[in-house]
Amino acid sequence: MTTPVNVPRISASVVLPKPALQQVFENLQESGFSIIGPTLREGMVALDEIRTVEDLPRGLRDQQSPGHYHLRPAEDGQWFGYNLGAHSWKQFLHPPRVTLYSVNKNEGHWTLQRPEKVAPRYAFVGVRACDLQAVFIQDRVFLGEEYRDPYYGRRREQIFILAVNCSTASSSCFCTSMKTGPRVSTGYDLVLTELSDAFLLEVGSEAGSEMLRSTGWQSATAFDLGRATQVLQQAERQITREMNTVDLPQLLYRNLEHPRWSKVAARCLSCANCTMVCPTCFCTTVEDSSDLRGTSAERVRVWDSCFVLDFSHVHGGNLRPTVRARYRQWLTHKLGSWIDQFGTSGCVGCGRCITWCPVGIDITEELKAIRATGER
Amino acid sequence: MTTTLPNPEIVARPDPMLPNAAVIRGIQPEAYGISTFSLAFQEPPVAHAYHFQPGQFNMLYVPGFGEVAISLSSDPASPELMGHTVRYAGVVTRAMGRLKPGDIIGVRGPYGSFWPLHLAVGKDVLIVSGGIGLAPLRPLILSIIRDRSTYGRVMLLYGARTPADLLYTGEFEAWERAGIEVHVTVDRADENWSGQVGVVPMLFYRIRVDHTKTVVMTCGPEIMMRFAIYEALARRVPKDAIFISMERNMKCAVGFCGHCQFGPTFICRQGPVLKYSAIEPFFGKEDF
Amino acid sequence: MSRPSVKTNPEHVGDFLSSLSSKARSQMFSLAENVAYEEGDVVFRQGDPSRYLYVVKAGRVAIEIHLPSKGSRRIQTVGPGDVFSWSALIKPYTETASARATHPTEVWRIKREILISTCRKDCAFGFELYRALACAISARLMATRLQLLDVFAVP
Repeated sequence: MTTPVNVPRISASVVLPKPALQQVFENLQESGFSIIGPTLREGMVALDEIRTVEDLPRGLRDQQSPGHYHLRPAEDGQWFGYNLGAHSWKQFLHPPRVTLYSVNKNEGHWTLQRPEKVAPRYAFVGVRACDLQAVFIQDRVFLGEEYRDPYYGRRREQIFILAVNCSTASSSCFCTSMKTGPRVSTGYDLVLTELSDAFLLEVGSEAGSEMLRSTGWQSATAFDLGRATQVLQQAERQITREMNTVDLPQLLYRNLEHPRWSKVAARCLSCANCTMVCPTCFCTTVEDSSDLRGTSAERVRVWDSCFVLDFSHVHGGNLRPTVRARYRQWLTHKLGSWIDQFGTSGCVGCGRCITWCPVGIDITEELKAIRATGER
Repeated sequence: MTTTLPNPEIVARPDPMLPNAAVIRGIQPEAYGISTFSLAFQEPPVAHAYHFQPGQFNMLYVPGFGEVAISLSSDPASPELMGHTVRYAGVVTRAMGRLKPGDIIGVRGPYGSFWPLHLAVGKDVLIVSGGIGLAPLRPLILSIIRDRSTYGRVMLLYGARTPADLLYTGEFEAWERAGIEVHVTVDRADENWSGQVGVVPMLFYRIRVDHTKTVVMTCGPEIMMRFAIYEALARRVPKDAIFISMERNMKCAVGFCGHCQFGPTFICRQGPVLKYSAIEPFFGKEDF
Repeated sequence: MSRPSVKTNPEHVGDFLSSLSSKARSQMFSLAENVAYEEGDVVFRQGDPSRYLYVVKAGRVAIEIHLPSKGSRRIQTVGPGDVFSWSALIKPYTETASARATHPTEVWRIKREILISTCRKDCAFGFELYRALACAISARLMATRLQLLDVFAVP
């Protein structure tokens, strides 16, 4: 008689009946994780704290195009049949508002206080391949050799990742061009592929293995694995948008005066939506405030955007006073200089900037136009 | 792509955004609207651990107003007293202008790259500066004077808008005696000015440059630096022997806030001192 | 502060002399007369007929423009190797500014007629002279533009 095995080994593939995902949720919560996952908010698949699998936006499909997002019910009732909403996981690792410290003045004597907040333990449920790559990209930004961002670091080292392989693609997606998806290949605790009647889960770590306790998991058969591969192939077939990344960043460095910048600037509202929804954009600023008596002051770090006019303010004015200059900065950074800085592109092909741009600017079209008539 | 000037060890901090308290030991007016603040850390272990290289900067914090990046302008051989030459221009600097000796300012640093004196050993050093741009070069000049025989000819070309805007004028004679050729000019003279009149790049015509052994270090308004580089290149100084100090908006000084980017370069980390050949493709690009 | 160095060889510095070929330079010296000024001496005044092309040998000369009710404004200083008073070669051959020695100064000066007739007879010399003049005037113009931009002005 073989010893009963309660949890699968690392790198095993198992199948679960779909309702058993609730047990995974409970295992996570018992281990002290707060679950962040997709849920329906104001007509969009948002990311927020969720309690049970009932909070998941099951049976929905999204339609996306430049400047448009629309949800509709899906006939097949799939649990994860939609793609991405405006939210990305960066708001949980790199929060939009962080109190850095406060200072109290007492008879000319200063005391500096840091907020005594314990970093939350998050379990991210439903992370898509592109978004997971975005987390790794932000790891390179914030967890470098010389300086580490402790606000990011403390949250990052505690997170549990239950990733999901996409079964569909929206028209904004171009992860295949950026080599970030649709398959989740690394960096997960568990990765889930939705089959018609079950979930196939691959175990990436000991923590992932533990969370499958008491779920009634069974080893996946070759047939199951085959079906999972088909799901991914189906998603990949639906990707229509593409980005040619050859000769970046040099192509952009050579074309800083290309006429296309003026053309896109005529459309761009400099609203900063793209930077808010982009899962890798990381710029911040610091806001200072004090009480009326001037005896205590606080510094708060908040998200910022290179589209804000004052972003490049120096004594004497703003160094990027035109929308043209600011759009050029965003695109040449995202697709170009990011590579020189961090070794990878800053873009993961999630398509959010295309969907959520109010005037429908498409980053892939802009690059295509510059490549077509730019200096070689 | 970007310059890889070596950085000295930074005092390790659990959180790079946290400042230490420093006392204002003195405020020395230098020119119209410009004063040098001399600061000393309150806690002895912090003061002992702190040292900087010429060209680096600190982030100075005034509670309730914010932080500002200010180059160190004092002698690196005496780091227990940190000098910062400040122009009262924005919210934070004007708040500093209302402080007095004995008041506390938050300080964190040093940050950034530094003037590569190690590349100038045995060579002529040509320092070209304008206005408050002389501040981050003063520690360089003091370091050179301390070790004068290591370098060849050392020339300072310096100018400001008017005679009242010149910095550190009381030290020029001492610098000359220490073997630095000091050439000074102003854009606009007043009735009492008996010195040279004209822009800083024109001072190149007062000196002879040996392009085979000259290193240029320049800091000032970007357009002044551009023309100084032009004059240096016209005299065949190699592009990788020219070093500039650039300024950009800074919120964090540690490469996280994104504000100081200039192409792929983070001015707070790979800069502010940069090798000209490394940033040449972007330098002078309009609105970049 | 910043006394002009007596050791500076005017042939190696300045915006004019070093641009000439050594042959043209020697020709110029042979045509020129040496004149010395004391500190404060006026070399010429704004409005004077422009008789000579000047090159500073040693010392410093201030170029000044007089504004009615504001007095003389020093707009530029020139030193060893620099040329001034090219109005001698440009109609209506009138000084557009005054020149005053701010330190004990020596200059080379060449009479306008001699210079022009030499250029006519010896085209190679003429080419050298005008080329060096173009360099000097270009540098002076660029400097003037920078002065106009007032790059140090507090916004």
